[in-house]
Amino acid sequence: MKLPATSSFKAPVKFRMPTADNLVPIRLDIENEGQRYKDAFTWNPSDPDSEVVVFAKKTVRDLKLPPQFTTQIAQSIQSQLTEFRSYEGQDMYTAEKIVPIKLDLRVNHTLIRDQFLWDLNNYDSDPEEFARTFCKDLAIDDPEVGPAVAFAIREQLYEIAIQSVASAREIKISKKGRRGAEHMSASKAGGNALDLMKLFRFNSSIVRKRKEWEVYEPFVDILSNEEVDVLEAREERNTR
Amino acid sequence: MEFSQHDPNLKPSRPGEPEFELYTIPSHSSWFIWDDIHETERIALKDFFDGSSISRTPKIYKEYRDFIINKYREEPSRRLTFTQIRKSLVGDVSLLHKVFNFLDKWGLINFGAASDDSKDLLEDKKLKNRIRVEEGAPIGVRAVAMPNSLKPITVPPFGVDGRAVVGETGFKLPPLASYSDIFAGLVELKGLKCANCGERCNSGCYEYSKDNYRVCVKCFKNGNYGENKSMDNFKYNDCTGNGITHGDAWTEAETLLLLESVTKHGDDWELVAQNVNTKNKLDCISKLIELPFGEFMMGSAHRGSATGPTGSMNSVKQGLSVSSEHQEITKTGDQVDEHMNESEQNGDAANQEPPAKRKRIASLSDAGSSLVKQVSRISTMVGPHITAVAADAAVTALCDEISCPREIFDGDDDYLTDGSWSPTMLYESERAHRIDASEMKEKPSESETKETSTKKNDIPLTLKIRAATATALGSAAANAKLLADQEDREIEQLVAAIIEAQLQKLHSKIKHFDDLELIMDKEYAEMLDLKECIVEQRIDVLQKAFIAGVSKWRDQTYIKP
Repeated sequence: MKLPATSSFKAPVKFRMPTADNLVPIRLDIENEGQRYKDAFTWNPSDPDSEVVVFAKKTVRDLKLPPQFTTQIAQSIQSQLTEFRSYEGQDMYTAEKIVPIKLDLRVNHTLIRDQFLWDLNNYDSDPEEFARTFCKDLAIDDPEVGPAVAFAIREQLYEIAIQSVASAREIKISKKGRRGAEHMSASKAGGNALDLMKLFRFNSSIVRKRKEWEVYEPFVDILSNEEVDVLEAREERNTR
Repeated sequence: MEFSQHDPNLKPSRPGEPEFELYTIPSHSSWFIWDDIHETERIALKDFFDGSSISRTPKIYKEYRDFIINKYREEPSRRLTFTQIRKSLVGDVSLLHKVFNFLDKWGLINFGAASDDSKDLLEDKKLKNRIRVEEGAPIGVRAVAMPNSLKPITVPPFGVDGRAVVGETGFKLPPLASYSDIFAGLVELKGLKCANCGERCNSGCYEYSKDNYRVCVKCFKNGNYGENKSMDNFKYNDCTGNGITHGDAWTEAETLLLLESVTKHGDDWELVAQNVNTKNKLDCISKLIELPFGEFMMGSAHRGSATGPTGSMNSVKQGLSVSSEHQEITKTGDQVDEHMNESEQNGDAANQEPPAKRKRIASLSDAGSSLVKQVSRISTMVGPHITAVAADAAVTALCDEISCPREIFDGDDDYLTDGSWSPTMLYESERAHRIDASEMKEKPSESETKETSTKKNDIPLTLKIRAATATALGSAAANAKLLADQEDREIEQLVAAIIEAQLQKLHSKIKHFDDLELIMDKEYAEMLDLKECIVEQRIDVLQKAFIAGVSKWRDQTYIKP
């Protein structure tokens, strides 16, 4: 078995989504004159910014929204893109980092709860593909579930990636400060990630303990109309 | 339990009866062994084998693999899903998914499962999905009235609206489409594209037998050849470079073009290839050789249009017809010229007078008969002696063939060669005349030969022509033999030279080695001397040390000389 030290010698990666496609999750929640528009989608940050306005206009027209929404949508997307770009160019922490991703979402009538591990340094990972398999395996018919699952994964990965940038910066600072700090900072940076040593060294098997199976097993429930109404009402109350 | 049977019949049949514990895996996955990791796995799942991370090692891969396959074999008739196995395996889900897909593609899992049902189900679902998407914006994207708002809003009918727009303009960007969504499709139209990774298939691709589904070599090796497609239905399609693909198939039009341009440009292949346009130079040449009459085409191309073999054939025929005409009137002596040529030919053979020949050739060319011209040309190539022998042989053969009195020729020959008076000859005075000519050994004048020949035109012309042809052939053969001999000699000489050079090389090498050995010996002797010297010095020093009585130092020197 190779020593883990080799992996930390990898060239630092500039900030990006830790997935195969560098797509930024964008969430819109716009309220205007008693109308509320909620949406979630991914955006390719290398697309020209002029597309944002075009997209906003088209959305407003397609959904028959009042025209005031156009600027608000464009602004929201733009600001989220700007935030993403502010991290670009910064180094990411490149050591082995496997994080748990937790899903707890409701899409229309489908309730999904799930947990699994995701490798933050696997730049071939594909949340959309994962979501497709998920829906296929669980025989979920609602075509909106897949994108929603993929989006939820992306959102969490995005957040973790931002943390990763921060920890990479920390390491740089501590490296400047004193020698020999590498070991400490490495363990500190891995705080969020699961202890890989525990996972792959001492646990002789890669098979989970039986009692953990439930935690990592997807839970899907189809709700009735009333349940959905109750849940929606509760969500409304929570946001207020 | 872990016994896998390789079923060559490939039918996704149910696996063996439970009491036998046999499992069916497709024959294309026969590389699979429980105890080892195959090259296919190494290529497809590189992550585990490049040692880049501690969570990806061959050992972990093997554990993943064995667990998944075992899990499937617990209940082989049911389809194992990724979601089922990921809850019990520790690790990155993307990676697990990769492993799962790999095993699934190769039929190591889910092979015996009723795949048809799920396939139909899948397709149904896909169809349904597509229809739903086309309806317009998803239901999740919506504008709803605030619960406490006073003015409720009716949901606008997006579906109908969206479709109407599409119907009107024909091409309309779908709602919620991103830039690359729309334009990626346009780019992909150019060239062969892998249906899996979207890259261009430059080096070749695998084509799915049922539709136009293509997968590049890389994806095929990785096992990513699309859902619901088994690898047996793929056919390798080599498309490296244009030359090979087009080189195989020549269309009728191309061949015609090739022939045309060959007749026009001869063997200037650059021009020919330019003319044919779709093929390169090599293709053209090989195609032409392949054609049944290719060699003939080349031959005529070489020679051009002036004199082909057919041309000379024609002249021979003409000559023959002319001679047959004149056979009846041989005695009239009106084809003096031809006769003269003939007699001159004979004379040439018999007389063996090289200096006289030049002039005769001149007269031959004057005569204008291409056959005779050629005969004379050929005969000049070899020595007069050989021509004589050839002519003699030709005459003998002719006589044997048509059993005509040899005297017709003999008389001439005997007369000319021996200079003796033959009683069989009719016109003795004329003969005498001829003798004078031959005995003078100096160029017989035209008039003289003419005279003699007119007197001797009793020999049938056909015979003469045949004799001439035979003579020519004979002399040509002799010439060829001569040339071949010469070539042989030359080759021998060259080989000898080469051998000599090699020998010389060897000699010089041996000499060089000898020198080196000498030098080595000398140096060795020097070394010995030096060694001796050093030993002596050391003994000297040691003795001095003894006398001085420095014992400790002496010990050290012994240990470390």
